[in-house]
Amino acid sequence: MSYEVIWHPFVEHPDSDSCWSLSVGPDGRIYAAACAEGVPGGIVKLVRYNDRTGGLDYLFDLDRMVDDPGDSGRATQCKIHYSFAPSMHDGVLYMATHLSGPPIDQPAYSPWNSWHDPQRCFRGSALVAFDTARDEVLWWDTLIPKEGCRCLVHDEGRGKLYALGYPRDHLIEYDIATRTGRDLGRIGSINSQVLLLDGRGRVWTTDDFGHLVRYDPAVGRIERSLTVLPHDATYQTGWHSVFYDAVASPDRRCVYAVTWNGSPRLVRLWLEEGPWGRVEDLGSVTPGHDRTVPEDYFVDHCGGLTFGGDGQLYYVASHWPDDAPSEGDLNRFRKGELSRRPVEGWLWRLDPATLVREKVAELVRPDACSQYVSRGAADRNGDLFFGHVGPRPVGLFRVVPPPERRKADAHLPIRVWG
Amino acid sequence: MAKRERFDYSRPDARALRDRIVHGAFVTEGAMVAFPTCFPAVTVPLPGDESRITALDVAEDGMVYAGAGGRACHLLVGMFHGITGMVFDLGQVPGADRAAGVCCGKGKFVAAVNGPDGGQLITRRLEPLPFDLIQEWHIARRPLERLSLPASAEPIVHAVAAAGRDTAVVLTEGRLLAVDIEAGSVRTVGELAGRGRIARGPDGAVYGLDGSASLWRYDAGADRLERGAVALPPGQWGPGIAWAPDAGGALSYLADEAGALFVLDASGTVHGPVAQVPLAPVTCMAVTFDGRLFGSAGEGMSRLFRFTPGEPIVADLGVAVSVFERRRYGYSFADAAVGRDGEIVFAENDDLGHVWLYFPRIQARQGGSA
Repeated sequence: MSYEVIWHPFVEHPDSDSCWSLSVGPDGRIYAAACAEGVPGGIVKLVRYNDRTGGLDYLFDLDRMVDDPGDSGRATQCKIHYSFAPSMHDGVLYMATHLSGPPIDQPAYSPWNSWHDPQRCFRGSALVAFDTARDEVLWWDTLIPKEGCRCLVHDEGRGKLYALGYPRDHLIEYDIATRTGRDLGRIGSINSQVLLLDGRGRVWTTDDFGHLVRYDPAVGRIERSLTVLPHDATYQTGWHSVFYDAVASPDRRCVYAVTWNGSPRLVRLWLEEGPWGRVEDLGSVTPGHDRTVPEDYFVDHCGGLTFGGDGQLYYVASHWPDDAPSEGDLNRFRKGELSRRPVEGWLWRLDPATLVREKVAELVRPDACSQYVSRGAADRNGDLFFGHVGPRPVGLFRVVPPPERRKADAHLPIRVWG
Repeated sequence: MAKRERFDYSRPDARALRDRIVHGAFVTEGAMVAFPTCFPAVTVPLPGDESRITALDVAEDGMVYAGAGGRACHLLVGMFHGITGMVFDLGQVPGADRAAGVCCGKGKFVAAVNGPDGGQLITRRLEPLPFDLIQEWHIARRPLERLSLPASAEPIVHAVAAAGRDTAVVLTEGRLLAVDIEAGSVRTVGELAGRGRIARGPDGAVYGLDGSASLWRYDAGADRLERGAVALPPGQWGPGIAWAPDAGGALSYLADEAGALFVLDASGTVHGPVAQVPLAPVTCMAVTFDGRLFGSAGEGMSRLFRFTPGEPIVADLGVAVSVFERRRYGYSFADAAVGRDGEIVFAENDDLGHVWLYFPRIQARQGGSA
């Protein structure tokens, strides 16, 4: 079985160093955020894969669209971080920006340092409503003043968006009809990287200690489970076992998620079962390593969870042959000082029925290691796409499955969170 | 406005500037420790939305008594010395959702709490030291007792223990109450419009805002309330004032709503401002044994500050962060007190609030360097 892998760098945004958001839009096309967080004054451009030309279309510079230019001296509208959320009934793709890009004349940005500084402080996460049918921004609003949006989910039935703010880690509810936001409370200190929505309109995420966190609009409060998500008990406590990425099964009965922690763990969540759902531990997804060295979450990573047209779960996990390399090793490879990639990005395919998993491809970009995949999605043609974080210019991978595993409208039912 | 040039990372100071931006944002002097509202690994903490700690007091034995609120109000005792290391939930107060003040007596404490139906006064005996919180313990939750109020249950603004710790002075929205902490009796001292926090003054009396230009003074020993006792210098005087008694220095600090720092001295005179806190509002402050004042100020994301007597500038100490055992950012603090050894105890007024201990930097000997 051969999976064709094509690397699409964001050549028209040479500053781009991260593609944090990649999602399928309500039109079945792939949208990606070409982010520039490591460049002073860097900004994010919205990119769409053009399935007629096989190239990328650059739709707009977000800083200009929301009147917050990258050379303002403030922290910039540098990225969209797991914050695409489609709206099926009107073809809108919502997106919310995130912070961390330094002001143009500063080497770094700290939202803690600049909270009270009107010259430097991030203006706030910009929420943009983009009409995918007309390629037009319908409106924008400031979703979270002074803060970035880590992740976004859309409850289309109730007309609500939910967001996690950064750095204060508050859960925000935004009413689309009235364009008003409401702070629902603080979760902790470590942002979870994804918000989930279940069939009852409950929003799920995690806290610093790996507890499931849930906001049920019917209850009106943030609640936490007492149990902790799976982790490696030989050296971990559950601290930092926050969600990194999650995808609902096509039948919507369960959710597959992976943790943002050393030795990231794949779990399957049956959220409708019992008072706090049922959590299945599907094990670690990366190789072992020297546990006397703190894991580099950029190296030891798993993301890009998506279902393909064949009904199988796909995800990208880092793989190394010996011990986990350091980021310095990755740089040495880029400079030609290492002949072999010290870490690789393997595309895995997991059968939900048997839980058997197989490596089906390696994502290879010619100039760098490619282990860090942020998000994945299937488009209307059944191709798979994965956003990449790495050296400039960054880009995305398109993976063409074998014909018998490639299905039209593979993106449906649509994923409602970033 | 001049066009800003893109930062050049080849600048020799690039790394230092970057480190200053990133790490200089947090506690730049001393160390903070966030302690959860539980016996770690033995009990569970308060629910996240019932743990906004807004009041605390430190008893003579160094134990910390606190009140937390949100969806419900809990009274807590924290112990951090000897073979202890625990915050214990003494119980939830029915009908209450916010703590206004905690007053430690010699054998009991009185907590002033509010709820939808108004204020309540709650009492209980002080918690004895446990046996050994490393190996084995025997801890039970004993009932809280509600005190009878002499009048309708007006919302309580604040409460403090008077000098000597025999009396709790309680300010409601309409009157001043005196509580005999041991006996549990409550009586009305006088009617006045309660505005803002109150504090022990350097003369042992309790002071509070009387209108917008003066302070009232209540001498609990003599049971005498003096209205308009102290004239206030020009300032932004309103319910957002903050106090910090300095028992060793025979003075009390008073911050107005704009963060201007004043001093109430033993003669009953307020003078100043002696300094300006960089941010407002000042949400809480306390004076440690050597006379340095520490506090927290600012909307949305508060920052710590220090005022050293004799220095004209209030030092910005950055955002609170705990990296010892519990890793947490601290954004909002509502009360502060001095602990047994001069550490500052901060009440975190946030979801999943913690009791924070701030250990100030030890000062270098004169002529040396810190």
